[in-house]
Amino acid sequence: MNRDGDLMRPLSGDDPARIAARAALADLRREIRGRFTRAPVPVRSAVPRVSLPAAWERGFDQLRERLATFGMHERSAEIDEFGMDAEALRALRPLLDFVFDRFWRVRVGGIDGLPERGPYLLVANAAGILPYDALMIAHAVERARGERPRFAVADWLITLPFVQPRLARLGGVRACRENVERLLEARCSVAVFPEGVKGAAKPFRDRYRLARFGRGGVVRLAVECGVPIVPVGVVGAEEAHPILYKMAAPARALGLPFVPVTPTFPWFGPLGALPLPSQWVIRFGEPISYADLAPDAARDALLLSRLTEELRAQIQSLVDAGLRTRATVWSLAPGQASAGAPSERTG
Amino acid sequence: MSTSQPGVVAILGLRSFVGRELALRLSSGPPGLRILGLDLRRPLGLDERVRFHRIDLTEPRADTTLAAILEKQRVEALVHAAFRTDPTPDHERDHELDAIGSLRVMNACAAAKVRRLVVASTTMGYGPHPDNPNYLTEEHPLRGHPGAHAVRDRIEMERLLGDWRVQHPDVEVSVLRACWAIGPAFWNRIVRYLSLPVVPLPIGYDPLIQLVHEQDLLDAFERALLTSHAGVFNVVGSGVLPVSTLFRIAGQRTLPLPSLLLDRLSSPWQSQSGDPPAAFFDYLRYLWVADGRRGWDAFGEPAYSTKEAWISFVSSRRMRRYR
Repeated sequence: MNRDGDLMRPLSGDDPARIAARAALADLRREIRGRFTRAPVPVRSAVPRVSLPAAWERGFDQLRERLATFGMHERSAEIDEFGMDAEALRALRPLLDFVFDRFWRVRVGGIDGLPERGPYLLVANAAGILPYDALMIAHAVERARGERPRFAVADWLITLPFVQPRLARLGGVRACRENVERLLEARCSVAVFPEGVKGAAKPFRDRYRLARFGRGGVVRLAVECGVPIVPVGVVGAEEAHPILYKMAAPARALGLPFVPVTPTFPWFGPLGALPLPSQWVIRFGEPISYADLAPDAARDALLLSRLTEELRAQIQSLVDAGLRTRATVWSLAPGQASAGAPSERTG
Repeated sequence: MSTSQPGVVAILGLRSFVGRELALRLSSGPPGLRILGLDLRRPLGLDERVRFHRIDLTEPRADTTLAAILEKQRVEALVHAAFRTDPTPDHERDHELDAIGSLRVMNACAAAKVRRLVVASTTMGYGPHPDNPNYLTEEHPLRGHPGAHAVRDRIEMERLLGDWRVQHPDVEVSVLRACWAIGPAFWNRIVRYLSLPVVPLPIGYDPLIQLVHEQDLLDAFERALLTSHAGVFNVVGSGVLPVSTLFRIAGQRTLPLPSLLLDRLSSPWQSQSGDPPAAFFDYLRYLWVADGRRGWDAFGEPAYSTKEAWISFVSSRRMRRYR
């Protein structure tokens, strides 16, 4: 009936010629409809009509649509200039929400201190082998501020077969100066992990002691680009993938820095890459602004190394504070779990 | 040094895509312009406004011959597009044309007092490397690929040109590094690969790829030739796409293979260039996307994004079947 209305509209009016034409058209339509309603009758009698629930029919329609655009439904034909795919992220959001809320039960602290608008550099302790921590930080920031920060990924990981395309879709970029600079220029926040491979490869007992911060490049980048640094302490990622032993020989053959041995990997094959459900705490520190530094501060190596060391100490204290809120690796301290949770939580 | 339009232009490599199309554009362009075309053989259907001269850049005396022609015709600006479209197994001859031939062109230009030189290069010169940043600027070193001899020759050409430019500061030199070109008319082995019905790909990788539409490429060459734009420019389309998305848009099937199988399978195809298969497939493994902002500032925003250029090519390919 909808279409009829559309057809009628241009003819409506009081003109007798129009009224006559409308009547003739209505006759014609009745005749056509009369011929076509008779046609399906023998078919219906031959095949018993199966009436499906409406939800099923919708499901079949969706399935047919997916088959017609096979391979395109989980990604968009348009990606941004660093390869992040909004479509893929949207499809993954339920999984990320589940992991964030249920699997690792991430406790977020201090996120209200985050600047209202980007860009800023999130500097965190490198934790774990796969960049789950980066994903969780990005997720926490996105929930609080609506903007999803990108994250820098170590060289060896971003070029790893099968991992590389997926990381790029989720917003990972290779950790190098040019990329971070370009992202900050485009007013996009970036999460960086200046401990680098050293951080990921720490022995288990030193997992929450921060390694040296590269060559102080992070602070220099922030000073040069004029963006604040937000220190972030992540607790829990290390236990999701505890490294028991690092194998050197297969690593050389594969061109990796090391091949980890964890309680599940490589014993369970690819399944061993799945993380353990440890209790996570992510604490955001107060943003550090470098705007009041002298203009040539970026070339003052001693100043930079002092600032880098301060930053490292700050992240270390965030990590220590996060550790204190946990009773065990798998649970929060009793007081924390009940009292602090609703107020500090961000939904 | 003046920014005015040159009166006489020479197109070296008239039978290449850029040479042919540029001659066509210029001959229907400004009326006061005299066009000189140079190549090894006379192209078919040559426009009468284009004056043809034969030159073989692989001959040792090509520089003298070329200098004499350029001087006699008082050529003011020259486009050097006389490079191999596709690499051949004869590496020495390729090197003789791409690298040494270019040196002869430079020397002839210096002797004939040509005041503007536009040279075609490629962003493949940056090379596919795991440690490339996402966007390579013109200052990034040209590392190439150890196996790709044509890319290596082009890098050597750029190095020679850099040295030459220091000795001849009064010549405006523009180097246009183009990424993979695509469009209804452009055809080379890369385009042929991209239009296979089943495309073999390295498994586990899906890097971002950028393409430039042939018309945007020609726009850049035309502007570099007619107006003053000294320097090195990346000529690329805007935007990037993952390789797999390209083929999904076109409805082509992909065949991701581990490198051992891929090398076996592609060896007959790859032997046309005499390079190891990795010399091509590494460009589909790692990033080598160039930053086009400087080129867009100089030659104008591209009319086609990477995706639009690809769609333009795919839709023209559909038509080609019925021709």
